[in-house]
Amino acid sequence: MTTATLAPVAVRTRTSWLEWLTTTDHKKIGQLYLVSSLVFFVIGGIQALGIRSQLAAPDMTLVDPETYNEFFTIHGTTMIFLFAMPILSGLANFVVPLQIGAIDMAFPRINALSFWLVPVGGLLIYSSYAAGGAAIGWTGYVPLSTGGAGGQNFGPGLGTGVDLWIMGLTVLGFSSILGAINFLATIFRMRAPGMRMFRLPIFVWTVLVTQSLALFAIPVFTTALVLLFIDRNFTGGAFLNPANGGSAILWQHMFWFFGHPEVYIMILPAMGIISEVVPVFSRKPLFGYHAFVGATIAIGLLAFGVWAHHMFATGLVYLPFFSFLTGAIGVPTGIKFFNWLATMWRGKLRFSTPMLFAIGFLAFFLIGGLDGALLAAVPFDYDVTDTYWVVSHLHYVLFGGTVFAVFAGIYYWFPKMYGRFLDERIGKWHWLLTAIGVNVAFFPQHLLGLEGMPRRIATYSADTPWAPLNLLSTIGAFTIALSVLLFVVNVVVTFRRPLEPVPDDPWDGNTLEWATTSPPPPHNFDRLPPIRSSRPVFDEKYPELAERAASAGAAR
Amino acid sequence: MIALAATSLAVAACSAAYPPAGATDQGRDIHSLYSWILIPAIVIFVLVEGLLVWSVIRYRRRDDDALPPQIEGNRRLEILWTVIPAIVVLAVFGLSMETLGTVDAKSADPAVVVDVAGHQWYWDFRYEKEGIDVSGAGQRPELVLPTGRTIRFNLSSGDVIHSFYMPAFLFKRDVIPGVTNTFEITIDDPGTYAGQCAEFCGLGHADMKYAIRAVSAAEYDAWVAQQQAAPSGSPPTSPSPSAGGSAAPAGATLEVSASTPTSFEQSSLETAAGQAFTIHFTNKEAGVPHNVAIRDSAGDVLAKTEIATGPADASVSVPALGAGTYTFFCQVHPNMQGTLTVK
Amino acid sequence: MTAEATSLRRDGTGEPSVHARRGIDTTIVGVLLFIASETMFFSGLFAAYFNARATHPDWPPQGIELEPLIASILTIVLVTSSVTMQLGVRAIRRGDRAGLQRWLAITLLLGAAFVAGQLYDYSTLDFSWQSGIYGAAFFTLTGFHGAHVTGGVIALAAMLFRANEGHFSARHHAAVEGVSAYWHFVDVIWLLLFSTLYVLR
Ligand code: HEA
Ligand code: HEA
Ligand code: CUA
Ligand SMILES: [Cu+2]
Repeated sequence: MTTATLAPVAVRTRTSWLEWLTTTDHKKIGQLYLVSSLVFFVIGGIQALGIRSQLAAPDMTLVDPETYNEFFTIHGTTMIFLFAMPILSGLANFVVPLQIGAIDMAFPRINALSFWLVPVGGLLIYSSYAAGGAAIGWTGYVPLSTGGAGGQNFGPGLGTGVDLWIMGLTVLGFSSILGAINFLATIFRMRAPGMRMFRLPIFVWTVLVTQSLALFAIPVFTTALVLLFIDRNFTGGAFLNPANGGSAILWQHMFWFFGHPEVYIMILPAMGIISEVVPVFSRKPLFGYHAFVGATIAIGLLAFGVWAHHMFATGLVYLPFFSFLTGAIGVPTGIKFFNWLATMWRGKLRFSTPMLFAIGFLAFFLIGGLDGALLAAVPFDYDVTDTYWVVSHLHYVLFGGTVFAVFAGIYYWFPKMYGRFLDERIGKWHWLLTAIGVNVAFFPQHLLGLEGMPRRIATYSADTPWAPLNLLSTIGAFTIALSVLLFVVNVVVTFRRPLEPVPDDPWDGNTLEWATTSPPPPHNFDRLPPIRSSRPVFDEKYPELAERAASAGAAR
Repeated sequence: MIALAATSLAVAACSAAYPPAGATDQGRDIHSLYSWILIPAIVIFVLVEGLLVWSVIRYRRRDDDALPPQIEGNRRLEILWTVIPAIVVLAVFGLSMETLGTVDAKSADPAVVVDVAGHQWYWDFRYEKEGIDVSGAGQRPELVLPTGRTIRFNLSSGDVIHSFYMPAFLFKRDVIPGVTNTFEITIDDPGTYAGQCAEFCGLGHADMKYAIRAVSAAEYDAWVAQQQAAPSGSPPTSPSPSAGGSAAPAGATLEVSASTPTSFEQSSLETAAGQAFTIHFTNKEAGVPHNVAIRDSAGDVLAKTEIATGPADASVSVPALGAGTYTFFCQVHPNMQGTLTVK
Repeated sequence: MTAEATSLRRDGTGEPSVHARRGIDTTIVGVLLFIASETMFFSGLFAAYFNARATHPDWPPQGIELEPLIASILTIVLVTSSVTMQLGVRAIRRGDRAGLQRWLAITLLLGAAFVAGQLYDYSTLDFSWQSGIYGAAFFTLTGFHGAHVTGGVIALAAMLFRANEGHFSARHHAAVEGVSAYWHFVDVIWLLLFSTLYVLR
């Protein structure tokens, strides 16, 4: 059934360095994003290993407290701004124009600029290490982060390094805003004929909602960063440091007004990937397409009404409102879960590596999501806020959720990108080790939170009961590191292997990226199938079914 | 499979998956709220993971040709799994708001009022009605509290944000500069409980600890009487700001040094009253930050050096002090301390 | 950006084809999205201002003297420039490039006059952005607005240059429409700023 068109472009001549530096091709830019994000993933991960080694046993002095504080600040900042966001932008960059049948993004040069701002921002953030460090947490709470402003001295790790952190994040913010404009314009304006909004692949829908969130949330973060920078360098804290007439809580409002939508920026495209992978490997359409779109939009809207759930313990926010809306997000997310399960139900499941990672997502994101739903209960949050419960929550949703989906996406689209399959055997080991590692590393952290271990502490004393679980968590972290190593091995092995051309549609897929060669030609498509549903490639392969579905749809 | 592993891990952890019972009225409420809302969470967890595992086992592909039925949706099912979670969410919300009412309740006339001041990186406590001060500068302060009485806490900070965390009471509240936060508790179980700052506040955040000793009301009253009878040390004369400007750092230079994170190499220092002097601090411990700060018996910090990450040194000129006993300590490691006698 | 928003591909017939989409031009969509993000940026600044205003009972603080006269003149200048900009857009919609050039030049002058006037205003004020929260807020808000006006002036200059080079016609002038939308946006922000700082105080 699969059309085994051999890709004439598969035997490409090697692309020169210069071409990579100057490319405006969305497929190449997508790959640049992927490579840079994975490099930052490893760098951020190495700092995580530093954190975990220091916490493996009580009273450790492996790293001094100042370095520890810089580690978790830059670990969090890296993982969120230099890994999770850009890698999703990278996948979207590669996939979205293909899925909507476009030749490229709406603004290819701006697209290149968006990418190149990422390493610039990363360089700025990492140069903080050479400039006295930035020890403020990824949330950069004031007045600690206003540092020496107002004539106070809040300790080391709060000097020029913090200014570099601010500048780096501002640059990354520009990158994301430009990216958001580009994605939205692409999705609004570049769809192939017949690709109506309600025929968009779900991944494109999630990117659409995500980029809208980015467009409205990130500028507010930029404002906050600008105020912080001004306060640190010019006004002595007039905006943000109470010692000089500022408000300590303003930063938190602005940060979380951005920060909560931000976490959905990191999960919605991940859910989109899962919604591509699960139907293909179940050989069924996504159950409840419209409900899924509705749920995505609902999550996007709710995202702007829950930010203060990060501030319950400040005693300065209106609790019922934020608590209720936070809990309410469980409903649309639940719709998605049940849609995925119903998609698998009575399907014909094929457990290739992308599907395994998708199943991992379902199994582990659920844990993180339920953690979150419990956090929405304010009195319980009073207990576990700023403890390892929250650390556990955020890693279950970000690793169990986002990272699992990212790996599902990489294994899924890799043949389309490079015309080669990643090795399935190594892939399965990679998956198994990741799944074990994540649970061993992050499940014990719930219990540590319940036992009262605060987050962001450089060490703990032996008279606490926390040592065994911490050791377990550290073992899990090193298991994850091993799994990441396996992934690297997989990529190397794959490229070492002689090229066996990959067919256009290796997974028996549904969406337009499978209608072109692997890898696609620079102009993406030599021909497009007619687009009459959200599964044009499927329709072409199974015309009888497409007819029936179309008439059923018309009858409804 | 892995879902199964996760399930069994979760089950195994269930015994430990509980916070302590909560030694206060409010903590008990939070504990029971947690028990209640954990039920739907576990039910949903088991249901979803169960469906997942079932699908994985039951619907794995066995033959390769025929397509399974192409089902696009089912209105009724979809309504069902929208409405049921919505009901669960509402129930959890209702329950948590009810608990919130009791946890955040405030009485008209609490029996004990404690003003808590968060500093980098120690806690100061002041019993408002009894006029007792317990300072944490240079020591781990112990907060003695009665059981069975309402206790109000007023929280304030002079520098950055801290969070006053009482793990045994399942409660914390942020300590925010420019804001006074208030909450109340009633302790049920006597005992000694550890407490610690929970909002990242800089270098010494991990060391910003205190202890609570909850005793019976009678014991508490006795403790208060004893404290009031023997005020902690003679109140020192506040440092006279040198009128002529601080340009003249005349007087002696006191040397302090450290090579471990547990104590200074000097346990006591001496200097003359009414004369400004300089403290020169040598941190010999590589990679570890220390400083030297001086506090009076009321807990006010009168002078402090920069924090120096060893090997390094730092100095500070100290204005003239009145005769009396002071404490010098490391702000990063408040347990490093010694006495400064001014004669 | 000249990216003509068309998906250029071959479809089933094997014929290369250009699918020009109906509706707003992609460039303009891009500019409108950019304006949306800028609106959020300024909302953040306004939030900071109103937060400060709400937490300081003495507002504006004693001894802060603004120059409402200069600000009013600047307001008139900027509003006028919006009108002239729109006249330029209407000219090119008719295909009147000379009219576009003329109106662009006038708009450019008015914009430059606004920036100059604001710098002059700054020089007459006897507080700076280091004199407490009011100064910080005043200069941060007006400063960021001024920077946006300056950016708009540069964009206007670019449009004028291109018009002089013979670009733009009744059908192809999306860039002008985009700059015009941005210019109106900057104007609206100023009106909000003016009402906040001078009328509401
Ligand atoms: C990908 C990122 C991501 C995602 C998706 C989420 C999702 C959610 N988060 Fe999370 N969160 C973070 C990342 C994320 N979070 C991070 C990084 C922090 C810490 C920041 C910091 O301080 O450093 C944080 C912190 C955080 C807090 C603050 C904790 C504190 O500091 O005190 C809260 C409080 O309410 C919260 C709640 C939620 C909720 C309710 C969801 C919901 O969206 C979850 C919804 C999902 C489900 C509920 C599961 C599936 C649903 C069903 C199967 C249906 C049935 C369910 C019910 C009826 C409930 N999160
Ligand atoms: C996407 C987001 C993301 C991801 C993926 C991770 C991944 C990990 N995180 Fe992270 N974490 C955060 C986001 C994330 N984290 C955030 C937002 C915070 C809050 C920060 C703050 O408080 O401000 C945080 C905080 C945080 C803490 C709390 C610190 C504290 O409060 O004191 C801990 C502690 O255990 C931790 C651990 C880990 C571990 C072990 C991993 C592991 O999964 C990492 C695994 C990856 C590797 C280990 C890669 C290494 C690879 C190799 C070694 C192979 C070498 C290869 C070559 C040379 C080619 N994280
Ligand atoms: Cu004080 Cu952390
Ligand atoms: Cu949130």
